[in-house]
Amino acid sequence: MTFSTMLSTMATGMLRTFGVFALTLIGSLPLGMIVALLRKSRFAVVRGFIRAYISIIRGTPLMLQLLVWYFGPFYLFGMSIGNWRFPALILGFVLNYAAYFAEIYRGGIESIPVGQYEAAEVLGYTKTQTFMRIILPQVIKRIMPSITNEVITLVKDTSLAFTLAYQEVFSLAKQISASQTSFTPFFIAGVFYFVANYVVEFIMFRIEKALDYYK
Amino acid sequence: MSNMNRRQFLTATALFAAPTLLGLYGCGSSSSSSEPAAEGTFTFKHGFDLDYPPYSYRNDNGEIGGFDVEMAQAVCNYYGWQYEAVPFNWDAKDAELNAGSCDCIWSGFTLNGREDDYLWSMPYSDNTQMIMVNKNSGIATLADLAGKKVGVQTATSAYDMLQDEEGQAALAATFASLEVYDTYTIAFNDLKAGAIDAIAIDVTSGNYLMSGEADYTFLDEELGSEVYAIGFRKDDTELCNQVNAALEALAADGTVAAIAENYPEIAEFITLGK
Repeated sequence: MTFSTMLSTMATGMLRTFGVFALTLIGSLPLGMIVALLRKSRFAVVRGFIRAYISIIRGTPLMLQLLVWYFGPFYLFGMSIGNWRFPALILGFVLNYAAYFAEIYRGGIESIPVGQYEAAEVLGYTKTQTFMRIILPQVIKRIMPSITNEVITLVKDTSLAFTLAYQEVFSLAKQISASQTSFTPFFIAGVFYFVANYVVEFIMFRIEKALDYYK
Repeated sequence: MSNMNRRQFLTATALFAAPTLLGLYGCGSSSSSSEPAAEGTFTFKHGFDLDYPPYSYRNDNGEIGGFDVEMAQAVCNYYGWQYEAVPFNWDAKDAELNAGSCDCIWSGFTLNGREDDYLWSMPYSDNTQMIMVNKNSGIATLADLAGKKVGVQTATSAYDMLQDEEGQAALAATFASLEVYDTYTIAFNDLKAGAIDAIAIDVTSGNYLMSGEADYTFLDEELGSEVYAIGFRKDDTELCNQVNAALEALAADGTVAAIAENYPEIAEFITLGK
């Protein structure tokens, strides 16, 4: 295999890695907020359910969760899982990352002093207005470094997609390494991941700076 | 937030959203090489591991290939079936087969020791288990392995054999340690680096690893002898019979021999039609 074939084959894998990455973020960033708000619901049943969800998701390996989402429908309900591979993969990633994001959001929300809620109430803001216009903008600013951390972890976690035989860049590296008896594919994969994370860092830094409008 | 910041927020959102389209495009061109099957055409879903050269692997063009893949495609051509490649994670092979995401496990799959677990096709390849060592290591017999570090790939038949009381578990007990690797590539690098003294491996995979490496050799003594066959779900008798019939026909008309010529490392071990 020529070096350029190796590079181009792995580039297609990087594109698939990117697909998992982008879809996971698009699903889990908003879902995490919903989870964080439900975590503070006034219904004890909802709170309990959300706590159990977060606890299970954070307490078990993502690899196992992916297997459960993919094979679960067949083993539990006897359903055919012909085209379920990719949806199961995304479902597993989104639900996993939503749990982590939810806790980051919760930390951010709870860091806002209670006096701000009281002041907003005095000024006649409704609860929704208080949250959307006063609390949330501050929360987003405060949690950006933690979010960046999680997003960078996600770039590397996408390699777990090999569990469901999704042909992302690390699966391809493993396969090419086996067929060429060489470690070069792993180094190429490393460079791909590093470049991807460098881009993530850069973008997140720009967003942080843009949000820093009081300085 | 002021308007300007909202705009920046939208820009950031767009930055995340735009690549998703690319991502979707990426998964559209997923590994399955088949077109949607014409109505009424049976789609043969070939389940295999892509880490197992040269039976099923990524070939020099970066495409899915290997002896087993070409054979499965030949069987499909023979019947006019639609071929669908289902690469899977080897550790999940049984779940994949039972769940119906593939119709068979056809990937250098050892029959011995698994006789009752699957419905088996006829064996098509010999697969002797060997010990690979450096020529200068001074190891010449299985007995010399006492007190040595031996590497093996997880979930392979060589690994099973070294765990099996009726196999070579007694021999494995004499090793200083049995190092279990994710892939033979890593094990082979450890052998080169001197971190382990020997590797227990299929003769076919071993030949593939050693091609172009003059310093390594197999011990004359074998660990054991096994055969490769295709594993089907136990109730899939009709499919198994059809594949068997096709294998016989393809052996008779020379197709098997022609395909084996593409894989010189294993050609001598292919038993079909010999």
